[in-house]
Amino acid sequence: MILEYVLVLSAFLFSIGIFGLVTSRNLVRALMCLELLLNAVNLNFVTFSDFFDSRQLKGNIFSIFVIAIAAAEAAIGPAIVSSIYRNRKSTRINQSNLLNK
Amino acid sequence: MDLPGSIHDFLIVFMGSGLILGSLGVVLFTSPIFCAFSLGLVLIYISLFYILANSHFVAFAQLLIYVGAINILVIDSVMFMNDLEYDKIFHRWTVGDGITSLVCTSLFVSLTIIILIASWYGINWTTKLNQILEQDLINTSQRIGIHLSTNFFLSVELISIILLVALIGATAVARQ
Repeated sequence: MILEYVLVLSAFLFSIGIFGLVTSRNLVRALMCLELLLNAVNLNFVTFSDFFDSRQLKGNIFSIFVIAIAAAEAAIGPAIVSSIYRNRKSTRINQSNLLNK
Repeated sequence: MDLPGSIHDFLIVFMGSGLILGSLGVVLFTSPIFCAFSLGLVLIYISLFYILANSHFVAFAQLLIYVGAINILVIDSVMFMNDLEYDKIFHRWTVGDGITSLVCTSLFVSLTIIILIASWYGINWTTKLNQILEQDLINTSQRIGIHLSTNFFLSVELISIILLVALIGATAVARQ
């Protein structure tokens, strides 16, 4: 019963993250919802690894890799935000020619 | 953690409600600094979840990397944004927001139905025995260390190269 509760919780976080990512009006909120998505997936992995894989912990190891990839993406994201802000003086992401000089 | 079952369940339910409120705060607040702090709260609650799930290494990696580095980066990039007048706490919803909320709600309902229907304990999880001596005396973090240094060694090297390239690229993009 606890397993289903935690899985439903991670599904909730995932759908909230998708909703926030699609409806966000600026880039920083989209980055935050991307972190929410990755964390929901991590929670799923760690829960399965705890309940079913206490010997080899493959879910834990994969979630460590997901955290590392999220760190790389969270470094690149604000760099892109800063270059967009330098060009455009705003962070709205409705336009598709944002990185144009 | 080896807590009694009822305290374990109560803590999981309590932190689940905190997660739900925090994630709704990330999505629905207008002011971006409130969003960033709600995200920090969500990340801390998830780290506590990992401690309850006996995964201490992932919990501390989450605290260090997510809360300590990524949340600070998010707050820094919040400071890039313009100073608008935030007179409302929540956004006004448009038609696109409504359609997206319908789609995401249907996604969540379908995922919940799948989770509740599936018989998780009936699946045959076969794991082959690996050749590590004294397998029952090693705790979780040591097991993760052994696997990372023997079975997943190539993945660790690739991840380190990816991180290096990503960080150097980020500083190259962010420079003048």
